[in-house]
Amino acid sequence: MSFSVVGKDIKKVDGIAKAKGVARYIGDIEFPGMLYAKILRSPHPHAKVLSVDISEAEKLDGVHAIVTPEHQPKTRYNMAGFPPNAEEFPLIEDQLILTDHPMYVGDPICAVAADTEEIAENACKLIKVEYEILPHVIFAEDAMKEDAPKLREEGNVMFEAPIKFGDIDAAFAESALIVKESYSTQKVYQATIEPTSGCVAMWDDSGKLTVYSPTQMPHLARKIIGTALDMRLGDIRLIKPHVGGGFGARLGLVIEPLTALLAKHAGRPVKLIYTREEAMAFSEHRHPCKMDMELGFTKEGRITGMRFTNIVEGGAYATHTPSIAGIVGPWAFGMYKMQAVDYLGKAVLTNSMYNGAYRGYGNPQASWAIENTMDIAAEKLGIDDLEIRKINGFGDDDIWPWSQLPVESSGLNECIDKGAESIGWHEKRGKKLGTSTKPRGIGMAVSCHVSGAKPGLLEISGAYVKINEDGTANLIIGNADIGQGSTTALAQICAEELGVKFEDIIVETDAVDTNYTLFDIGSHASRQMNSGGNVVAKAAREAKGKMLEEAAVMLDVKAGDLDAKDGIIFVKDNPTKSLTYGEVSFEAHFKPEGTQIFGTSSENPEGNPPVYAAQFAEVEVDTETGVVSVIKFVAAHDTGVVINPLNTTGQIDGGAHHGIGFALTEESVVNPETGLLENRDLANYKILTAMDMPEVVSIAVETPAKTSSHGQKSVGESGLIATAPAISNAVYNAIGVRITDLPITPDKVLAALAKK
Amino acid sequence: MMKKLNFVVNNRKYSIEVDPRKTLLDVLREDLKLTGTKKGCGSGECGACTVVIDGQNVNSCMVFALDMEGKEVITIEGLAPKSGEIHPIQQAFVDHGAIQCGFCSPGMIMSTSAILEKHEKPTEEQIREGISGNLCRCTGYVKIVDAIQSLAENK
Repeated sequence: MSFSVVGKDIKKVDGIAKAKGVARYIGDIEFPGMLYAKILRSPHPHAKVLSVDISEAEKLDGVHAIVTPEHQPKTRYNMAGFPPNAEEFPLIEDQLILTDHPMYVGDPICAVAADTEEIAENACKLIKVEYEILPHVIFAEDAMKEDAPKLREEGNVMFEAPIKFGDIDAAFAESALIVKESYSTQKVYQATIEPTSGCVAMWDDSGKLTVYSPTQMPHLARKIIGTALDMRLGDIRLIKPHVGGGFGARLGLVIEPLTALLAKHAGRPVKLIYTREEAMAFSEHRHPCKMDMELGFTKEGRITGMRFTNIVEGGAYATHTPSIAGIVGPWAFGMYKMQAVDYLGKAVLTNSMYNGAYRGYGNPQASWAIENTMDIAAEKLGIDDLEIRKINGFGDDDIWPWSQLPVESSGLNECIDKGAESIGWHEKRGKKLGTSTKPRGIGMAVSCHVSGAKPGLLEISGAYVKINEDGTANLIIGNADIGQGSTTALAQICAEELGVKFEDIIVETDAVDTNYTLFDIGSHASRQMNSGGNVVAKAAREAKGKMLEEAAVMLDVKAGDLDAKDGIIFVKDNPTKSLTYGEVSFEAHFKPEGTQIFGTSSENPEGNPPVYAAQFAEVEVDTETGVVSVIKFVAAHDTGVVINPLNTTGQIDGGAHHGIGFALTEESVVNPETGLLENRDLANYKILTAMDMPEVVSIAVETPAKTSSHGQKSVGESGLIATAPAISNAVYNAIGVRITDLPITPDKVLAALAKK
Repeated sequence: MMKKLNFVVNNRKYSIEVDPRKTLLDVLREDLKLTGTKKGCGSGECGACTVVIDGQNVNSCMVFALDMEGKEVITIEGLAPKSGEIHPIQQAFVDHGAIQCGFCSPGMIMSTSAILEKHEKPTEEQIREGISGNLCRCTGYVKIVDAIQSLAENK
């Protein structure tokens, strides 16, 4: 199919505003009379607050409001942005805005709003809090011990997710090979360059609340604020400004209810912006997982079954942890066909800052386990690494076990072939590369991911297209562009379906407003192109249909004889007989009994096409220092039909940055004695600089989905999933030792080489 | 105790009273309302606050405002010759898809301006070194390097 706007390199609609520095982020938003807030946090990982004395702090000049646990509603809530149909895991509502029973270092006890941040900070220092220190436990394996401090009545394992199908014992009995290995992944930080998070909140005289929040999910964030503050949702207006990176870090709330509570008590607008240190120490990171995997194979390399246990370290509150415990298994058996699975995920409470959503949502952990295991199996069975992936992958006509929905189309084999060609797999694999002290190796791994959360979670999106009297069109959507460019791509779909030029679509990325947009789940699960694309296409088609009917009357033809392209509505058999969108819309508005033409759509998408990717790494290992350097990295992704090529490869490029960091340099280190994150700045938490990044080749393989509006699939999250195991497999190829606990640091490499 | 500061920002002379404890970044954002310069860490690690001072790219969070006495500062708002216009570096970033969330972009663009001041035709290594103090979490630097290379080629 040929498209006019879809598939074109349209520049991001907010690119110029961002390049010129005029794009407003949460820190740039100011209102007259605004106050600035700071939080007093627990210095102890587990304690009871015996008393709070705010009398000295209140006397400080410039302090306008201090809130303590006494000032808050007693409704508990869960920060994670889930729709209400989360049936497969419990949505444990265990948090209050402020606490008198801190569960981690940093749990908010009080907050102050003052004329300046400095005054608010000084006021926090004047608040006297008396604590009774309670025993604490930081790591999941310690929290599961018999004698561990009990963090809640029911025990520290807050949720168990067993998933079983087939007969695992029979499957293993038939296997020619069973590979058994233990793996661990570390806690890592999303590292948005705009620190997560900030908020501005204000109330009007009628008790309505306006919240500016850089969230990934405006409507679900509003819903949780409503729960936390015990309010009607219609009385809360949430506006999302420009967002300086999401990657899951804004998948729900961070500090919105607290900012709103302070603003209510102060009677003035309040702004609360986290410092980088707060953003690192007191916001959600990726869950560390300890995984044991057994994978059975026939001698031909077909997977027979998988036994997989996974301990997920959750931190002090539930948020996303039960969901992560439930989903790591399905990511693994969503990659390959297997007849029998015995998975058990355990979600464990500890006294550290809670973990949450981070790009990939449990899939990087699953991929780390299964893709290292596949590499081990391929070697033991003497089967080519590419081939063992191909023979176990899903076909177009298969039902995908992750979703129980059709696969629709799989580009896995093409991704493997194109990636292999780009890295030079067939020329290099099996050859001795590099030097004796700096051997090189190449490795690969594959991954699957979703184009939404259906059917596990609701997928509702909403779009509204109105045709202005001059033929321009406003596209109004309630989802959140957080920099990925989804809104630009959705506007391309809108222009394509209306039959107008891209420039004639007006869309905003920086003022997503729950008062004026239809309900939308938001930006998670890489769902914008599938679910967002579906409703935008349908709303545009509805508006176009009405435009053609109006034009048919004006041209005295049947609507079915007409089509539109580039803003011209024309008779298909006689294209010179035509009207512009402007002429038709003007007539529609201003004829007697006129009406404005618009289209709307609010629904769940039909499918959830999985996406596949194959990633390849060439690495060099310095056997004297243990340093692993990635020389070249290739990522071939089945994206379905590409809506915007620049934005699509941009997502894959960026995924590599997260993935290589996850593999080699990034680790959030929590001190088990103090409970505090040790490396709470970007000097000690190592994300890669431009000098650290290798050559990255991003390849889009366009295998059309059957159910999406234009054959598109997702691309956002998948960029980093196969990266760490691809690098690990390359390291093994180079030096013959495998590091199974991430990250692959020089000390682990040297220790493994010494044992070899 | 406020102190007098005379300096030039974006070709405009300022003579203002500033809190001597304030960084250049805070004075730009809070006193001059030039919020295009972003605060990403406040400790010189991320580069989001990069401005150009007398031709050098500098983290504006790491210098006191008072140290700017008599100096010339260019911020992202001052890069294009006139308001409503776009500088070729900004245009190249937009055209090459070098901007995603945009939070690092002002600083990254100011570092690019300094690289192009220093090198007539910077090599890829000089480009990567020149932006190595500016962290980006969205792009893997791939399209940023592309954008800067396109400017070097067109010189």
